[in-house]
Amino acid sequence: MRRSNKRLPWAYSLPALILVGIVIVFPIIYTGYLSLTNMNLYHWFDFEIIGFSNYERALLKLDSGFLSALFTTIIWTAVNMALQVVLAYFIAMALNVDGLRLNRLYKTLLMFPWAMPAYVSILLWRVGMYNTEFGLLNKVLTALGMEKVNFLAENTPAFISCLVLNLWMALPFMIMMIDGALQSIDKSYYESAQLDGAGFLARNIYITIPALRGIIAPAVIMTTFTTFKQFDIIYLLTMQKGALSGATLQTIITYAHQNAFVSNNYGLSSAVSIIIFVLIVVFSLGTNRGLREES
Amino acid sequence: MKKKISLIMCGLLVVGTLFGCGNAAQTGGTEVNNESAQTDGEGTEEVEETKQDASTEQTEIKIWHDGDEAIMKTIADRVNASLAEKKITVSFEKKTGLTDQLQLYGNDAANGPDMYLYAHDSLGTFVEMGILAPIDDMADAGVMGDLLPMTVEAGSYNGEQYLVPVYFETLLFLYNKELWNGDLPTSTEDLYEYMKANTDTAAGTYAVVNQHSTAYNVAPFINGFGGYIIDKDGNPGLNNQETKDAVEYNKKFAALQADGDYNTVTTLFNEKKAAAIIGGPWLISGIKDAGIDLGIKSLSDFVLPNGKALAPYSGVQGVGVMKHAAENKKEAVTEVLKAIAAPEVGIDLANNSNCAPANVKSYEDAGVAGNEMIMAMKETADTAQPMPNIPQMSVMWAPAEGLLAAVNKSGEDINTVAEEFEKQAETAIADMQ
Repeated sequence: MRRSNKRLPWAYSLPALILVGIVIVFPIIYTGYLSLTNMNLYHWFDFEIIGFSNYERALLKLDSGFLSALFTTIIWTAVNMALQVVLAYFIAMALNVDGLRLNRLYKTLLMFPWAMPAYVSILLWRVGMYNTEFGLLNKVLTALGMEKVNFLAENTPAFISCLVLNLWMALPFMIMMIDGALQSIDKSYYESAQLDGAGFLARNIYITIPALRGIIAPAVIMTTFTTFKQFDIIYLLTMQKGALSGATLQTIITYAHQNAFVSNNYGLSSAVSIIIFVLIVVFSLGTNRGLREES
Repeated sequence: MKKKISLIMCGLLVVGTLFGCGNAAQTGGTEVNNESAQTDGEGTEEVEETKQDASTEQTEIKIWHDGDEAIMKTIADRVNASLAEKKITVSFEKKTGLTDQLQLYGNDAANGPDMYLYAHDSLGTFVEMGILAPIDDMADAGVMGDLLPMTVEAGSYNGEQYLVPVYFETLLFLYNKELWNGDLPTSTEDLYEYMKANTDTAAGTYAVVNQHSTAYNVAPFINGFGGYIIDKDGNPGLNNQETKDAVEYNKKFAALQADGDYNTVTTLFNEKKAAAIIGGPWLISGIKDAGIDLGIKSLSDFVLPNGKALAPYSGVQGVGVMKHAAENKKEAVTEVLKAIAAPEVGIDLANNSNCAPANVKSYEDAGVAGNEMIMAMKETADTAQPMPNIPQMSVMWAPAEGLLAAVNKSGEDINTVAEEFEKQAETAIADMQ
């Protein structure tokens, strides 16, 4: 009877486990297998296991280019996350001001950038905002009598342009999370604090922020990962095939793509993928441990 | 009771989850639908049996492509009409991302194609993968003799012929007759002078626009200067002096050609803010829709300061044969190659879809000879160079365009960045092995 009780949860979970196995675990194992082979264009059907030489080659790619890409990725993630959380916090606070009319309408409108397909948003911004001939920003500049600016041609303006677009696309999610968390805070805390003479700043520091931390932590972690492995914004704005903008911004994912995924060398690409996978797992374990210790 | 029901439901879910991995053809009868066979990826034996039964009456040749359906219909109609008596039927199937599809199904007789029709620059990749058969013994001089030499060269790899060219594309000088002032220049220097006099970047009006940082569009200069992006042995040529001279020469044109992005330059031309554009036949339908009074000139008519004509790349659409089809359906494939190479196919393609035929005899047709764009492309075929079809070319676009963007858009020094991108190209080529 006891043995049956032990097996029962596994039996109930079996369909989900099989699905997870097929969709998530199998591709990882297969990628690991390919990383040990010499599967490439010249050994498409007759590839064989060659040991860890692809890993040696992949690790050799951790050169100055990779370190520079890693540095850019860290800056990109840190700046994005800091701005996202701060801006989303204040926007969510503004949306929760007592007596604000049409607040539901504002919330719905704020969801649009998040609901739009990323590909469409990015191309819309590339042409509609940053383009030298048709972009809104250059229209404004020329109307003011200034010269046109190619925002994506050099690294710093291109980084800022990508950052602004990422904020536009990612802020709605963070606003929604913080907005939901704000509504879960008991109003009586604020009433008591007000009776004790707490001002706006004190209420935020001692009530709102501590109450929000635990609730929005998962959203922040998820967004941090999404931002860390961001590919499409930087690629489509600056590196799209046939439309390179001139900027040479590289994050580790775009660097890996450029160095390993355009060569039809599946063995090498798989080794790079596994290394990135391990890096992200380590990063994830570190973040989770940090959160546990904090709680 | 609830537990039992739950367990049964879980069991059904497991069976349902795994059911998709089953062999669909085993459950069916003898009729096998092509579409389901492609997606199932299984049922090989059943499909082959069905095909063998059918072969006593009718042989079907399946050709995959990633192009315009109307063009394929034109080819299919003509080829099927000419092969009707021989009981051979050709069917075209569009496969988006054809290269990836052929990597998966190229050697699969049941689910893959017998032949494919695609741009020639992927040829080396498919040959090295081992999915293509040489066609020397299927397409003899009678088939290949009337084809433009440039197109035949595009379809050969390592000294063997793999493609029968059908039609080709290349860049042209397209101009708006309403906006162009005076005669068209015959040298690139005169063209530059015209551009300087008729471009106002602040106002957003341009004399000539081009995708100045796209390797394909700068190739006329690079080839004309005697440079190269990659040579036949797979050596990159970005740091080659002639290539650097060409890129530096193109830079002064780029400064007068907006940001060079495809969408930007085509919109500028279609909105009549640019008097001319360097582009291919794929732009024509948009230009016609914009109501532009279009004039066309071959790029070979422009002479560089070194006395040589601009020499654009050409892209040749050709038909190749999968290894399994060359072994199992050789006779039928031979007939199909012969029918596709016929001048009548080229005439139909030219008249219906504005394609420049690979067959020289097609140009004897009055309709084809009177088509300004097609004749301009034929003229360009004399100086045009087929895009390299070696596999290494697939990794050369990124460094070549990186170099162009660095010079034209970021103002970098040509010598510094040429060396940097040459190294990138060498690494990318080494990574293929």
